[in-house]
Amino acid sequence: MSPIFRVILIVVSLLTTFYILKKIRQSKLQIEYAIFWILFAGVLIVFSLFPWLVSMFTRLIGMQLPVNFIFMFFIFVLLVKMFLMTIELSALENKVKDLTQELALEEKERADELKSQREAENGSAGDGCIHN
Amino acid sequence: MRCLVIIPAYNEEENIVRVVENLQTNYPMYDYVVINDGSSDDTARICRKRGYELVDLPVNLGLAGAFQTGLKYAYRKGYDYAIQFDADGQHRAEYIGPMLEKIKEGYDIVIGSRFVTEKKPHSMRMIGSRLIAVATRLTTGKKVKDPTSGMRMFNKKMIAEFALNLNYGPEPDTISYLLKQGATIAEVQVQMDERIAGESYLNVTKSMMYMLRMLLSILFIQNFRKRREVKVR
Repeated sequence: MSPIFRVILIVVSLLTTFYILKKIRQSKLQIEYAIFWILFAGVLIVFSLFPWLVSMFTRLIGMQLPVNFIFMFFIFVLLVKMFLMTIELSALENKVKDLTQELALEEKERADELKSQREAENGSAGDGCIHN
Repeated sequence: MRCLVIIPAYNEEENIVRVVENLQTNYPMYDYVVINDGSSDDTARICRKRGYELVDLPVNLGLAGAFQTGLKYAYRKGYDYAIQFDADGQHRAEYIGPMLEKIKEGYDIVIGSRFVTEKKPHSMRMIGSRLIAVATRLTTGKKVKDPTSGMRMFNKKMIAEFALNLNYGPEPDTISYLLKQGATIAEVQVQMDERIAGESYLNVTKSMMYMLRMLLSILFIQNFRKRREVKVR
């Protein structure tokens, strides 16, 4: 890896980490979700500080350039993360749907109850009128 | 001085009756509320049929969300103390009294701890507990002997803070964070039972993930959090 590429990696990973920590500080991010991104930034930092690690992996799987290994590695990690996020998104949408339906049905049931109560009251009152 | 026993329940149809009946008959001086966390079994139906105090969540929120629901209820109703109490029968109600005594001395949080006077066994299960205790000690300088105990009592200030904020799960990392922020925490020796029926939530993979999350959170993330004080009304 060229020195410039390493510097870029280090700067980017540090910026990412600081940004994540800032958001946690502002209570905008759940810790469960922050864990992944902090580990991710950690790996970025490790790769940029110890390029021999990257070279080792590159040779191990018979790739031409360390840069290619980095691209492949992060594309794969992000692909998996994206898929997991799609699953989470589906679960979330489903929950919102369930929640909305539950609320609306509850509301309708309460309205029905009120209506039948009122009808019962009116009905008995009307009854009285006719007989008088 | 009113104390609310919060019982988060997820698929606990086999245990919930025993736990609630015990509280109702032997400890009528405490109010309780069952938070059904969107169970897929008969937990909610059983509670409704027997007339238990129940908050029925229509979707599953997980333990943190369910317990926070209980704290929001306590906050709205103006309870002075609230305790997290397992629906699987692991926690014994006889220790609520001593914990209440302790918290009245002016602590923010009282943990029902298995290892105040008893020694911590050298089992696999306790490795996690030890690691979390060490991490907490490293970052806060204070000793928590049973950080993973789920039996925790909170005072009015903590109820408000837990009820209204993000990232206040009932987990050891929150305890560590609050310790660091100057909250006062005491431990009271309790005994716990093994769960009698049903299955435990934790398996090996989940335990590993849990440990990773807790350690990273305690050692790293919690140091950067800013505390938002909450006014007690």
